Amino acid sequence: MTTQFQELIASNQIRLASRRKFINAFMLTVTGFLTLLALIPLFWIIGYVFYKGGSFLSFSFFTQLPRPLGMEGGGVLHALEGTMILALLAAIFAIPPGVLAAFYASRYPNTPLGIVLRFSTDVLSGVPSIVIGLFVYIIMVKPMGHYSGLAGGVATGILMLPVIIRTTEEMLKLVPGALREGSLALGAPEWKTSLSVIFPAALSGVITGFLLAISRAAGETAPLLFTALGNERYDIKAIITNGMAQKQSIFTIFGRIVDQPVDSLPLTLWKYAQQPYPERIQQSWTVALVLMIFVLTINILARLWVESRKRRLQG
Amino acid sequence: METKIVAQVNLNTNSDTTSKLVRKLEARNISVFYGKFRALTDINIEIYVNQITAVIGPSGCGKSTLLRSFNHMIDLTPNARVEGQILLDTVDINTGNVDVVDVRRRIGMVFQRPNPFPKSIYDNVAYGPRLYGIRSKTDLDVIVEKAIHQAALWDEVKDKLHQSGLSLSGGQQQRLCIARALAVQPEVILMDEPASSLDPISTLRIEELMQELKKNYTIIIVTHNMQQAARVSDFTAMMMLDQDGSRSGTVVEFAETKKIFTNPKDKRTEDYVTGRFG
Repeated sequence: MTTQFQELIASNQIRLASRRKFINAFMLTVTGFLTLLALIPLFWIIGYVFYKGGSFLSFSFFTQLPRPLGMEGGGVLHALEGTMILALLAAIFAIPPGVLAAFYASRYPNTPLGIVLRFSTDVLSGVPSIVIGLFVYIIMVKPMGHYSGLAGGVATGILMLPVIIRTTEEMLKLVPGALREGSLALGAPEWKTSLSVIFPAALSGVITGFLLAISRAAGETAPLLFTALGNERYDIKAIITNGMAQKQSIFTIFGRIVDQPVDSLPLTLWKYAQQPYPERIQQSWTVALVLMIFVLTINILARLWVESRKRRLQG
Repeated sequence: METKIVAQVNLNTNSDTTSKLVRKLEARNISVFYGKFRALTDINIEIYVNQITAVIGPSGCGKSTLLRSFNHMIDLTPNARVEGQILLDTVDINTGNVDVVDVRRRIGMVFQRPNPFPKSIYDNVAYGPRLYGIRSKTDLDVIVEKAIHQAALWDEVKDKLHQSGLSLSGGQQQRLCIARALAVQPEVILMDEPASSLDPISTLRIEELMQELKKNYTIIIVTHNMQQAARVSDFTAMMMLDQDGSRSGTVVEFAETKKIFTNPKDKRTEDYVTGRFG
């Protein structure tokens, strides 16, 4: 019986082996090919944006305000500054509540509040961004009577909130329970354990989550249409110098920075691309390039930071 | 049924040797429940000052559960409930109004796998003292150095106190965790299989360290390794699952380690320590 079986195996072995090798090679080729296929859009987009927008890229594009049509030069400083202000405001609005909610969700996942929290986070991340823009228009822009960077920041912040909660929660969950036990066994209270052991252990992942959320939010256009509106003459430096000349307090100056319509890179791209003038179309490509570099820089910084922190922690 | 279980326990201690010893920690009729499941049934053991008490027994018989009920770590498990008295210096600490933080300071714990915090070696050890309000740098320096010395780690880390605790080897990490537990000056140290994830040389160092530590502390060690229990401990509690089908852990024999390993009273203990179990 056994010998018969072994003979059968032996007679089939060569055939099976060649079949196995063929299938292996075939599958490897297919997966390799599909991987390349998946990478094509990425490199196509990057390459095309560089090709179309790169020629107009110059240092002054980053440092000057837009000039009227027909005039040479000019840049998108207003949009760059606006994007940063919006990202800053969104981070201020979204990160503190997001992190606290994530602590709750990771620590008490099965309490009624934890379940509701998780469910609402999912729902919120499914809400179309333009609806969020409309919502903020109703609750902020209408009562205030004007569009503002503040409203744009709130809209972007709401958009970021579920991303922050989710990534932070996942990172907190990755911290081994043994660390928590180690701290509690020393007599540390729960809040102290969260604050000085669990959060630092999760910090690199959490910060990466922040930066990715910010870079995602920086690329959003829809929620800004009804809130930040856009402002071609937005110039933080002028606001600050004016404010200093009039001896205004730092709060007044900051208020003036956020209390007026603000532009952003994707908003500028969207507006320029709709205009019938070749220069504006050309500039919108360059804005696309700047936006891409901006987002890419944040992403790369996040990665580098995480790597260096990992090395430091693991000695 | 209660009486039957109690009757199974052979308190095989020689009154001559134990009468001189001071009881540090005492479990009186401890039963632990996870929800409706009774994990431990009527545990009675005495832990003596400056002695090492080993808790041995097959997997899943509740050794860790027993250990964790001593320092209220079991409170972290949802639905866990401890019945009975746990006397620390004759004061019952298994009551609702006990200060858990104080109990955990007095009863330190070392875990199965080294779990240093992702902080520097110094900050790991200083974490406990800082919790209890010690802020002065000079005080902390003294405490940290002393604790690391006691954990026999000083010579290896004295030049890199500000490197991450995670940069150390497994055995060093475990000694760092011991130093961290010592830094709050506990009275009892619970060790939950402290060497099970370590190589033989690191294990030996931990065992030598325990002999050193028992001069100042009272140690309870849970171990799967019977040779280890025989080598390091003065007393041994043999735990086993109830055989009446309830799957509840109980102490079948508690005695001096010598007796457990050379002249056990209980048949189950004898089978287990001689490797004939099952």
